[in-house]
Amino acid sequence: MPSALIIGVASQDGSYLAEFLLSKKYSVIGTTRKTGDDVANIVHITSRITLETADFLDEVSMENLFKKYQPDEVYNLAAFSAPVASWEKSHLTGQITGLGPVMVLDAIRKHSPRSKFFQASSREIFGTVNSKTATENTPVHPENPYAAAKAYAHFMTQVYRDSLGIFACAGILFNHESPRRPSQFVTRKITTAVASKSKLHLWDLGSPRDRGYAKEYVEAMWLMLQNKTPKDYIIATNTLHTIADICQVAYSRVGLNYKDYVVLDPSSAPPSTDSVRGDYSLIQKDLGWSPKTSFKELIELMVDADLKNSS
Amino acid sequence: MSSAPKALIVGVTSQDGSYLAELLLDKGYQVIGTIRRNTSFFKENIAHLYGKLKIEASDLIDYESIEYVVRKYQPDEVYNIASQSVPADAWTHPMYTGEVTALGPVRVMEAVRKFVPHAKFYQATSREIYGNIQAVSATESTQIDANNPYGISKAYAHMMVRCYRESYGLFACGGILFNHESPRRSLHFVTRKVTAAVACIKNKVTNLPLNEAGEPLVDDAGKVHMGNLDVTRDWGYAKEYVEAMWLMLQQKAPKDYVIGTNTSHTVRELCRVAFSHVGLNWEDHVIADPKFLRPTEIKDLKGDFSLAKKDLGWEPKTSFADLIKLMVDADLKRFK
Repeated sequence: MPSALIIGVASQDGSYLAEFLLSKKYSVIGTTRKTGDDVANIVHITSRITLETADFLDEVSMENLFKKYQPDEVYNLAAFSAPVASWEKSHLTGQITGLGPVMVLDAIRKHSPRSKFFQASSREIFGTVNSKTATENTPVHPENPYAAAKAYAHFMTQVYRDSLGIFACAGILFNHESPRRPSQFVTRKITTAVASKSKLHLWDLGSPRDRGYAKEYVEAMWLMLQNKTPKDYIIATNTLHTIADICQVAYSRVGLNYKDYVVLDPSSAPPSTDSVRGDYSLIQKDLGWSPKTSFKELIELMVDADLKNSS
Repeated sequence: MSSAPKALIVGVTSQDGSYLAELLLDKGYQVIGTIRRNTSFFKENIAHLYGKLKIEASDLIDYESIEYVVRKYQPDEVYNIASQSVPADAWTHPMYTGEVTALGPVRVMEAVRKFVPHAKFYQATSREIYGNIQAVSATESTQIDANNPYGISKAYAHMMVRCYRESYGLFACGGILFNHESPRRSLHFVTRKVTAAVACIKNKVTNLPLNEAGEPLVDDAGKVHMGNLDVTRDWGYAKEYVEAMWLMLQQKAPKDYVIGTNTSHTVRELCRVAFSHVGLNWEDHVIADPKFLRPTEIKDLKGDFSLAKKDLGWEPKTSFADLIKLMVDADLKRFK
């Protein structure tokens, strides 16, 4: 039975990945930072996975994991993951999101060199892109501390692959959503507001983004580690939708007009990265992955899940 | 009454830190320099400046120690020269390299932002941020593509300098310095390794300094062990490069600048110039040793300094051959 270690298993992506790997008959080890962390996303599978605590601020906890399990596959999904908050916590963001993955890579090199490693890179590493689509070759040009930390981890993943012989690859993920997305992210903020039929305060209605379904993105992560040779891939939908588009689909799902609920609050607008689509043609060609759920289906399934939660 | 401007140099005992301290003292600055806390206080590069500059203990991995110095002196200008800069150690200690070279400058900028937001900040960025980019010369807008742990840490710090400048309004500049050498370069850098070896061989030194592998710099057969002789570098004179650092902080608006010579030379040429300066044939004394090869090399790349020339009026003055000769001459006096 192959074994997989998921760092950050209680996150949106971590929990979908754990389910997926269990269905593939993996033995799954998952980490949270400490006992007592929010594990709502994985309560339904905690009896079937091994839970451990490990923290990017504690190198020994990470090394011990690798000595103990020598997992076949390692997925790093943990990060200090809010680009806006990263402005106030730029140093902590660097430690967790930047140096954390290096701690994992170095533990692999020392204690488990045959482990395959997946790093969750982010579209944020490209910053403002001067073309309509981004590929694996788009120049790295981060514009906030979160993005700079992700860029650092992205380059380090490549170094461990190209120079130190580790099977390491980075998935450059564009926005990916689901009913498990925390509600500070705008998509989920909207779908929870629809379910509660309360007034919805938003920064703006524009900000087009490439948004896909998280449940499908974790399959791409797994496929990348089944590749013959490790490579980085863009994971995206190559389509763009604005916040108004999300509102339109979400409120229509329950027969309402979003204009009756949305309050624009532009004064608190955060720094925004210009819009670009993710060109996923390389992973489609190499590994046969493509997004399946349409934008409309994604928003509707999120609204449906939030309606169910609130009833 | 105008009081002297205050400059804080993080990493003052280094080659660049010590030249910069001299330059700023000459210009009438009050200079505060940091060293890592150590029971041995003697620091060769700044021994001649004792009494002229204030020295404080501070460590880039310890935010408290940085904040303390920034609060105490409220400097007008802050230069971060410190880093974990031994390339080989970056491979064996990537986490430590990241803590010092990547996060260290962020700690300094955080302290500046909180306590002296009007201070000007200089970060020592490196040519290594470009890795193996396919270009003849690099400018400030060349794509970042670092390919070793040291270069990636410097790239992260450089990107964070841009974030602090563009989003916090900090007067922060990254000087993208190509290799720069001098008699104060430490022995684990290839230029100084060669010039020190030349002096030791010429002067038949028996009490030999150690190379980066901890072995005598010259073996029993009178040979110095080197890595790849075909690699090229754009080498300039460190003493001139610290002037560019200071000039960057005197501009109206903060910007990043490439500092280089826009020429490059091989390690083989370096050996030839250095040995022939004392009448020796380099081929009799240099041996290629695979032990000193790096896991990845960087390609030939020259630093296009035209923006620095236009904005700062800066350009390199000392030629490659003159630089190597002045280093050999200094080592002939030092190793007898």
